[in-house]
Amino acid sequence: MARKITIDPITRIEGHLRIDVEVNDGKVTNAWSSAQMWRGIEVILKGKDPRDAWAFAQRFCGVCTTVHAIASIRSVENALKVEVPLNAQYIRNILIAQHSVQDHIVHFYHLSALDWVDIVSALQADCKKAAYLAQSFSDWPGNSQQEFEAVKAKLNAFVQNGRLGIFASGYWGHKAMRLSPELNLILATHYLKALDYQRKAAQAVAILGGKNPHIQNLCVGGVATAVNVDNLATLNMERLLYLKSLMKETAEFVEKVYFPDLAILADHYRDWFKYGNGVDNYLAVPEFPIDTKNENFELAGGVFYGGNIKPFRIIKDHKDEYLINSITESIAHSWYVGEDKLHPWDGVTEPNYTDFQAEGKYSWSKAPRFNEKPMEVGPVAQLFAIYASDNEEAKQIINDSLLRIGIKINDLQSTMGRLVARGIRAKIMSKLSLKFVDKLIDNLAKGDSEYANHTNIPEGEFRGVGFHEAPRGTLSHWIIIEDKKIKNYQAVVPSTWNASPRDEKGLLGPYEASLLDNPVHDPEKPLEVLRTIHSFDPCIACAVHTIDPEGKEIVRVRVL
Amino acid sequence: MSNIVVFGAGNILLSDEGFGVHFAKYFEDKYSLPENVSIFDAGTLGIMAMHIIEEADYLYIVDVISVKGNPGDIFIYDKEDIMLNRIPTKMSPHQIGVQEVMLLSDIRGKLPKVVKLFGIIPESFEPGTSLSKNLEEKLPKLADMILSEIKSISY
Repeated sequence: MARKITIDPITRIEGHLRIDVEVNDGKVTNAWSSAQMWRGIEVILKGKDPRDAWAFAQRFCGVCTTVHAIASIRSVENALKVEVPLNAQYIRNILIAQHSVQDHIVHFYHLSALDWVDIVSALQADCKKAAYLAQSFSDWPGNSQQEFEAVKAKLNAFVQNGRLGIFASGYWGHKAMRLSPELNLILATHYLKALDYQRKAAQAVAILGGKNPHIQNLCVGGVATAVNVDNLATLNMERLLYLKSLMKETAEFVEKVYFPDLAILADHYRDWFKYGNGVDNYLAVPEFPIDTKNENFELAGGVFYGGNIKPFRIIKDHKDEYLINSITESIAHSWYVGEDKLHPWDGVTEPNYTDFQAEGKYSWSKAPRFNEKPMEVGPVAQLFAIYASDNEEAKQIINDSLLRIGIKINDLQSTMGRLVARGIRAKIMSKLSLKFVDKLIDNLAKGDSEYANHTNIPEGEFRGVGFHEAPRGTLSHWIIIEDKKIKNYQAVVPSTWNASPRDEKGLLGPYEASLLDNPVHDPEKPLEVLRTIHSFDPCIACAVHTIDPEGKEIVRVRVL
Repeated sequence: MSNIVVFGAGNILLSDEGFGVHFAKYFEDKYSLPENVSIFDAGTLGIMAMHIIEEADYLYIVDVISVKGNPGDIFIYDKEDIMLNRIPTKMSPHQIGVQEVMLLSDIRGKLPKVVKLFGIIPESFEPGTSLSKNLEEKLPKLADMILSEIKSISY
C-alpha cells in the first residue's frame, strides 16, 4: 500500500524546507524537495554599491553569515582583479576554518544527533558503566561518573515535570533507535557540553571579525582588522595567543569528544552506510588561498561523476574556466518565470508562485547543475578532492579517521558517511586554523604589515565570481558591476545544490535521490527520512524564523 | 552589577522579519545606556547565540511573532510563558528556536533570572531592507517599554 508523507518544515535551524516522500512496502519510492520560502537577495542587491554587497549578503542566512560575506567580497575582487595581501588571506582563512569548526560541532550534536540518540532511554543508564565506557573511548577529562550522574539527574527532573521542551518532539522509543541507555547518556551529556565549545569557536571568530555573528572586518581588497603586534588597541600578540588557546580547546573537543561519539554512532548504525547515497556526482572548489593572487590553495577542489572517487577533474583555483562555465540553474520545476536554464551571470529571479505541483513547479529553490548534472556538495565532495590531491597532511587525517571508523572512502557516499565526512572535516579545519595563525604570526614577524589593498570601483562593466568551500559545500556569488553599481547578482548556495528540485530533464536533486530506497518503519514517525535529510545539514538560505505560538502540524500522512 | 541584554532577532532582508535587528540598531543609536546594558544584533542565529543568552541576568528578546491580532500589536511573554510551553513552538522535529535554546540553558542551569519576549505582529515579509511604516512607528513605543523595564531593575 502506498502512502504519501509530507514533512513541513524539516530543517532544524533556518528556513522552510518541505519534503514529500512516497512510501511503498516500507521503502521510499519517490521524493520531492521543496524550499518554501522566497529569498529575494538578488532583487535587494541590484543598484547597490558593490563594496557594500558583502554586508547585505551575510544577512542571507542566520548560521552561515561569515560564508556569504567571504563569497561576496571574493566576487567583487574577482571582477576587479584585486590582489589580497597575505595577512588578509590568513585572517580570512582562520575565520573560515573556525567558522567551520563551530558549524560542524553544532550540526553533529544539535542538529542531527537526536535522530540517533534516544534522550529518554538515557534515564535508564547506569552512570558508572557509562563512565567506564566513555573512558574506554577517550581520555577526555569531562567523562566522569559524577558528570553523567549530574546530567541524568537534570534530565530526570525535566522529564518528571513534563518539561522535556527541546527534546519533547523527538521520536523516543522509535524502533530504529539502537544505542544502549549508557551510550545515549554519554551522547546526551556531550550534547549539552558541546554548547560551550561551539562558543569558544564563536569567540575566536569574533576576535578576528570584530563581531560574531555578522563579521565587520572585511573590505574589498583585504580586511579592515587593524594589525599591529605591539599595539594594545589592535590585533596584537596577546590577542593572537588567546585566539590560539581557544582554538586548541575546540580542537581537543573535536578530537576527544566529537570524533569518538561519531565512531559510536557509525558502529551501531552500520547499515546507514548503505542508505542515502544520492546523485553520485560531487563538486568541491579549492579553499584557503595561500598567495595574494588567488592562484595557490591549501585544499584542492574537484569534480566527480557516477560515484567514482577518481576525479573527473581536479580544480586547482577559482579562475578555472571549466568550473566557471559549467554551472547553470534550471527553473523548470521552480516558482520562477523565464528561460529554463541559465548561467548565473545571466540569471533572472522573477518569482511566480503556483501551488505545490508534484509534476510541475514545486519549489523556490532553483536547480543548479554542473555540466547538465545534479551535484552533491559538502564535506564528502571536499574530502574526495583532498583524497585525490597531493596534500599529504590532510590526506593522512582522512586515512587515519577512516581506519578508526572501519570504513573505506567510498562508504562516505551514504547517510552515515556524510556525518563521518563532516567529523573528519572538523578535524582538518581545527588543524588548519592553528596552522594559519602560525603563518599569520610568522608573516607579521617578518615585517609585513599590509592587510588591505584599498580599492575604488572604476567606471565600466565587470563581471566576477566568488567561490567558497563552505561548511555545507560549494558556494558561489556571481556579480555584474556596471558604472559602479550592481547590475546583476546571483548566489548559488550549497543548499540549493543539495535541495535542488528536478530540472528540465526530470533529473532528481541530491536530497530527492538520497531518499530513494530509505526504509520507513512508521509513516507517522518518519525518522529515517529526517536522518538522511539532516545528514546534509540542510539550511535553506532564506532564513525566516518567525516565532509561531499557534504551533503547527508537521507530519502529514496520506494513503494513496 | 547585573548584566542586561537586549536581544534583537530577525532577518533584515525580509522587511518586517528583521524588526528585532532594526530595533537593536534604533535602541543603540537613540540612547546612551549604562555599561551593563548590551544590545545584541542576533540576526537569525538560534543556538549559536546561546552564550549571549547565558551571560545575561536580565534578557529582553525582541522578535516578530505569529499570533492572532493586527500588524504592529505587541505582546509580552514572561519566562514562565515560555518555559511552561504556553508558547508551543514545535516548528519541526527538534527545531531549535529561541524557546528551545532557553530550555537547553535551563537544563544547563544557566538561564537568566529574568527573560521577557517582546513579540510584534509583522505586516510584510516582502524582500527589502526596511520596515513597513506601521512597524517602524512602533520602534519608539517598544523602546519606552524596554527602558522602563530596565529602569525598574534594582541593582
